Amino acid sequence: MKKAILSFALVLAAGLLFAQKKTTTSAVVNFDATTSIDQLPKAENKTAVASLDTKTGKLAFEVTIKNFAFSNPRIQDHFNGAGWMNSDQFPTATFSGSITNLQAVNFAKDGTYAVTVKGELNMHGVTKAVEANGSIKVSGKTINASSDFSVKLEDYGVTGGAIAAGKVSKEPKISVTAEF
Amino acid sequence: MNKRFKKWLIVTGVVVLSCGAVLWYLFTEKFEDTKKVKAHYTVHAIDLIKEFQQDEAAANKKYTEKIIIVNGTVSEIKNADTTANIIMADMNSGAYIIFAFQQQHVAEARQMKVGDNVSIKGSCSGGIYSAILETEKIDFKRCTVNE
Repeated sequence: MKKAILSFALVLAAGLLFAQKKTTTSAVVNFDATTSIDQLPKAENKTAVASLDTKTGKLAFEVTIKNFAFSNPRIQDHFNGAGWMNSDQFPTATFSGSITNLQAVNFAKDGTYAVTVKGELNMHGVTKAVEANGSIKVSGKTINASSDFSVKLEDYGVTGGAIAAGKVSKEPKISVTAEF
Repeated sequence: MNKRFKKWLIVTGVVVLSCGAVLWYLFTEKFEDTKKVKAHYTVHAIDLIKEFQQDEAAANKKYTEKIIIVNGTVSEIKNADTTANIIMADMNSGAYIIFAFQQQHVAEARQMKVGDNVSIKGSCSGGIYSAILETEKIDFKRCTVNE
């Protein structure tokens, strides 16, 4: 009986030690909607929440829209305003999905692995299926996940004079990095 | 060219130049160094967290896009190549405040240690409930050590 309890305790401890769901409070999301006419619509958000389940490949991100830091106050106001992201009404953007080729990643071995991620992106109150390429870099106990992709603002109901006038890219580039 | 036309030309020129100057200013303006900006509020980290937990909507209305000085204890430090985040957490609930430092002040954040009692000034981006972490989080941007 004592052996069974000890074995159970050891298994539980091992499970906790090698927790498969990893989270971070400090994923970085870069947003680049610059054009040849305007180099200002560009910002970084350094406090995105992210989670990665190394057993199932499930991946999730949450980004507080108001924490995208622009260099210019006017562009910051426009970005958060009703004509753009409308962050008072839609304070967060979220992604929920998974790595589709998880078998190609060995989380126990240092290396860089190319991955494909599929899921749903919710932004400005609209949810769309998305797919993107990315990479997972394993280095000891650290896992770095990154991906670059574009979003079509019109698909998420984000339109406006600045976009039509070519001052803001219709398909801004998004880059995401998370260290777990 | 008669006098009236010349006058009209000068006035138009002045108006156009003035508008151009205003537009130039608006689109080249940058956020000031947070160290030089006066704070709207000074709070303790745990009190701020509790205020958001009790009524997130009211707290967001009060604090969002305001410059706030937060005094508290460093719970965690997140350093990356070009960024540094400081976290003050409520150990009971797990709710936390996260401060993203202005680029010119990242070095200050990197000097902090877990357990330090610090005072940080930054622009509050509001609080949300994180479904991933199952707790309240309050974001700050353009942060600096408060002196």
